[in-house]
Amino acid sequence: MPQVRIIAKNFMDMVASLPAMKLDRLYQNAFICEAILRSLPPLAKKYVVQMLFFDGPISGKLLEEWVLADGVTKHKVAIDRLIQLRIFTEAVDKKRESSYKLNQTFQVNLQKHLTNGGVLPREPMASTVRLPSLEELDTYAHEQWEVGSSSLCFHYPSHLHCSGQAEKPTNLSSSMMRIFQRGLLTQRDKDAPRLTEGGFQFLLMDTNAQLWYIIRDYISNSEERGTDPADLISFLLELSFHVTGEAYNMNTLTEIQRNAIKELADLGLVKLQQGRKESWFIPTKLATNLSVSLTDSSSRKQFASSLMILVGMFFMVIVIMHATGHVVVETNFRIYAYSSSKLHCEILRLFSKIEYQLPNLIVGAITKESLYTAFDNGITADQIISFLQQNAHPRVAERLPSVPENVTDQIRLWEADLNRVEMTSSHLYDEFPSRDTFEAACDFAREWNSLLWEDSKKMRLVVKAEIHMNMREFLRGQK
Amino acid sequence: MTNSIAEKRRQQEDEDDEEDGDLEGWGERNYTDERSWEALQEDESGLLRPIDNKAMYHAQYRRRLRSLSAASNSHRIQKGLIRFLYIVLDLSRAASVMDFRPSRMAVVAKNAEAFIREFFDQNPLSQIALVTIKDGVAHSLTELGGSPESHIKALMAKLECSGDSSLQNALDHVHEYLDQIPSYGHREVLILYSALTSCDPGDIMETIQKCKKSKIRCSVIGLSAEMFICKHLCQETGGLYSVALDESHFKDLILEHAPPPPAIAEFAIANLIKMGFPQRAAEGSISICSCHKESKVGEGYICPRCKARVCELPTECCICGLTLVSSPHLARSYHHLFPIAPFDEVKPSCHNEPHLKSQKTCFGCQQSLVNPGNKPSLHVACPNCKQYFCLDCDIYIHESLHNCPGSQILGSTDKAVEQSLDHTNRANLHALKKDVQKEFKDHMHHMDCNFCNDMYFHYGCTPNL
Amino acid sequence: MTSVPSKRYSDDVSLVVVLLDTNPFFWTASSSLSFSQFLSHVLAFVNSILLLNQLNQVVVIATGYNTCDYIYDSSMDASQSSEKGRMPSVYSNLLQKLEEFMIKDEKLGKEQSQRAIASSLLSGSLSMALCYIQRVFRSGPLHPQPRILCLQGSSDGPEQYVAVMNAIFSAQRSMVPIDSCYVGANNSAFLQQASYITGGVYVKPQHLDGLFQYLTTVFATDLHSRSFIRLPRPAGVDFRASCFCHKTTIDMGYICSVCLSIFCKHHKKCSTCGSVFGQAQSDTSSASDHKRKAPET
Repeated sequence: MPQVRIIAKNFMDMVASLPAMKLDRLYQNAFICEAILRSLPPLAKKYVVQMLFFDGPISGKLLEEWVLADGVTKHKVAIDRLIQLRIFTEAVDKKRESSYKLNQTFQVNLQKHLTNGGVLPREPMASTVRLPSLEELDTYAHEQWEVGSSSLCFHYPSHLHCSGQAEKPTNLSSSMMRIFQRGLLTQRDKDAPRLTEGGFQFLLMDTNAQLWYIIRDYISNSEERGTDPADLISFLLELSFHVTGEAYNMNTLTEIQRNAIKELADLGLVKLQQGRKESWFIPTKLATNLSVSLTDSSSRKQFASSLMILVGMFFMVIVIMHATGHVVVETNFRIYAYSSSKLHCEILRLFSKIEYQLPNLIVGAITKESLYTAFDNGITADQIISFLQQNAHPRVAERLPSVPENVTDQIRLWEADLNRVEMTSSHLYDEFPSRDTFEAACDFAREWNSLLWEDSKKMRLVVKAEIHMNMREFLRGQK
Repeated sequence: MTNSIAEKRRQQEDEDDEEDGDLEGWGERNYTDERSWEALQEDESGLLRPIDNKAMYHAQYRRRLRSLSAASNSHRIQKGLIRFLYIVLDLSRAASVMDFRPSRMAVVAKNAEAFIREFFDQNPLSQIALVTIKDGVAHSLTELGGSPESHIKALMAKLECSGDSSLQNALDHVHEYLDQIPSYGHREVLILYSALTSCDPGDIMETIQKCKKSKIRCSVIGLSAEMFICKHLCQETGGLYSVALDESHFKDLILEHAPPPPAIAEFAIANLIKMGFPQRAAEGSISICSCHKESKVGEGYICPRCKARVCELPTECCICGLTLVSSPHLARSYHHLFPIAPFDEVKPSCHNEPHLKSQKTCFGCQQSLVNPGNKPSLHVACPNCKQYFCLDCDIYIHESLHNCPGSQILGSTDKAVEQSLDHTNRANLHALKKDVQKEFKDHMHHMDCNFCNDMYFHYGCTPNL
Repeated sequence: MTSVPSKRYSDDVSLVVVLLDTNPFFWTASSSLSFSQFLSHVLAFVNSILLLNQLNQVVVIATGYNTCDYIYDSSMDASQSSEKGRMPSVYSNLLQKLEEFMIKDEKLGKEQSQRAIASSLLSGSLSMALCYIQRVFRSGPLHPQPRILCLQGSSDGPEQYVAVMNAIFSAQRSMVPIDSCYVGANNSAFLQQASYITGGVYVKPQHLDGLFQYLTTVFATDLHSRSFIRLPRPAGVDFRASCFCHKTTIDMGYICSVCLSIFCKHHKKCSTCGSVFGQAQSDTSSASDHKRKAPET
């Protein structure tokens, strides 16, 4: 299944990498059209809307005329993206000028949306039973998520004793558990599983990224379980257009969707309930926020220019839940976290020294040692800082900066300490027969951009290891 | 690194100042953190709570508003919109005292800058000049002029203090200039006085009388303690005397001088002034600018009388001396002439009135006026249109917007052009409402055929689009 | 270096306050575009704004000839959605409110002793829109980028001049651009000035049946994108004043020093504030006299 194991950086890339036929089928679903449109860069959105009621092809020149000179790169990016997603089809005429045409299905769907205002994917059930309130749903979604992520924490080596009391993970289905653990944990023989570097970073990622990570795995592994990823994507997006807190009959779902929804329930996207005759599902905020798009400017390094819709939305919710953030960092490097959550405690423990824990308060301190352990585990200073900033207590978050500058600076400095020496594998050449050969060798190395050091007096030079073979060839030629 | 952050924060603060104008209270809070205990109060159970700043701030604001409107209601509103103001900065030894952080001089300069900007925002046709007192002598820093930037630049360049301060020298100096101002202009002096003494060459009482005769309105803001001579000066000339308690108070006091003072007949004789309304020069045209004495391309204004080119408005033509303005500049001052009445606070008991009971949201911003506990929160009502407003809108409407959204609705009909609503019109209105729902859906389906040519896309073809 | 507060609001999230002219006098007289057609274009435009970004917000304020009122707020819509379902309510809610509004507007017109005005209450709806935007500003550091879009057809009401200008200056101070799309016969001086002063875009569409296309190409552009998209540039805005006495546009005129009323020739008494004037200033004003003297000191 080569096309499934994509190293997609974001969800839209993932959609774009679907084969053309599947992509066209996706666009038959109006919700997907809407969600995809939202994920586009602003300029691309504008082009689509501008051309929505336009039947013929538009020449690329006309489009470009609307962009100022310094926006040309943006124009190119937008067009590329649109073609990649097969929203635009490109035609080159005899004069080698390209013109673009909107994807027919996509266009019709969005036109309908504008004129009719869109419809609901399915009618909610007439409520006969008491449905959970929105708050209850939020807590439910939140708890489900924590169960997932804490299943990782309990494998953190220094807390092996914790994994003994793994009361919680039991209600997580094994398939979801597998997803959580794939790539994040390594298990050697009979040792308790250990967190990988990726696992550490996962815990500190902002919540959007976390959900993204999981959903990405979930989708890309869907074929192993015999599900078409396109179906899954379309279902996830469709789910996002349901109304939070309404009950929907399970009978309206297809077989594949019914399977998927059970697993999504584990993530807290939906809540399942069983009545006497029929069963229904209730989307939580996590699910209905699925189509919020996040643009490039907002994303983080590892997921640079990414984090589009799907994921964005999901985790928006957790951001909202965390928006009642809990961490206060003082200028004396102490951390106070108003939380009773074990997960929070474990996350803090990754980079700080937990001193004591009160019923609703965790008190810790950031020390050089605690940070060094964190850095050893592959966590970066930026991750720690952004974690502290994103989870700042609302009272602190009002202020700028929410984390004291001396603390952020010091964290960066300690990290920089570790990076003072940079290792580059290299080769030393000396005892050159003549100055000419030496200089020729230097020039050669410079051309390859891999001359690290030279000492013209003693005629020695150090060259990066990569070009050792070329260098040897070259020196042989000199002789 | 920390430097740049501080820099950034300062810039941000400056921007805040500009944007908020009078709402400076909260911008300052960052810096007064050292006195955080002052913002605490004890509640009935002995717990410490932060003082409810919003309610207090609002009460304070309302008091100010009431006193202002009381002053202006007494007679027909006539304001001195054309002002000639001399700002006198005391740069004597006393200005280096550090009871204000970092020094009195720095605080005065910083707030004078904010004041100059606010002043020109509110009085676009007025002019300012700067005078400093140093070593017992008064010097002109800038001539009367209407450009805030040139004043601020000159002010920031000359910040050092020494010697004694002399009130009399300053007044004499200013008097010499202000005496020549045309009679329609309001002559004003604003003295920012740091010293507690005045070292004068002659009898200052005479100078005060001279100022009084020339109808110069002198106001003083003291930075140390109240002085008799200052109080006397202000009383005699009809100005305001105040002493600042701290920096934010100083800022309040100085900004109080920004709105135009009520015109008192004896101070300025009403007059008609000849002004020009220049047109913008055509884009791309090259002409020699009369203010910078160099040739510039486009973006200028042409004096209607002598056809000289000037760079910005409002200004005075350098060649023929005609005052040049644009109509928006005049309009900027009109709100002083038609102020909106202060809103009345609504007592919870008033809620029995039947037609108001239904209004649960602020008329301006649609914010709910009902607290979560179904308890109505504090709100106000416009005496004119009887609509309810939330406190935030109240402040915004009076301080920045100068329009009551509700009163627009009732007010304009009074001035309405007579035109009866004939029957055909009314019938059409009904028809209109009916077919809206039907037609818009049909219409949208046909819409695509309207866009068959690409004229909407071709930028070059549709310059007026 | 300092924290970027949250990732939820990106640059292109916008709040568009649409001021919809419902003046029946204009719409019954207008031949090129009926109100229902106009509305269909606007509704499609509102939908397209909401489509562009989930966080986008649209508020519609109806501008009548006697009153104005909020008729649609997409943020309220979301909270009510559980009753009615999501999208279709854009239409039904808005149209229902609009109908109620027009009945109220007409009733008020009757109450006001058969008086009617050919112009709409632009000043009222602008003030309302600004109040709403201030509330959005107050809501915290994270808010969508607000802008106002005036869809105006009826001509300017001279009696609203001061109020409209006040609103424009307030918008300028809080950096809210006022876009305007004028569908009436002549250009609207109010809206031209509003857009020019606040940095918005003024468009008078040539072909009204393509209104939707104008709306989406020009006014759907968020503030962030405006930095790299070519938008219609303001053709010369006339800043010359018109005198209060004859309403003629003048190059030079006399200004009352007390109330700044503009007159085209010399009067004895100001008709606005009642001040009695002394003799007219001679052409070489004494202000320039003192300038000449000044360097001597």
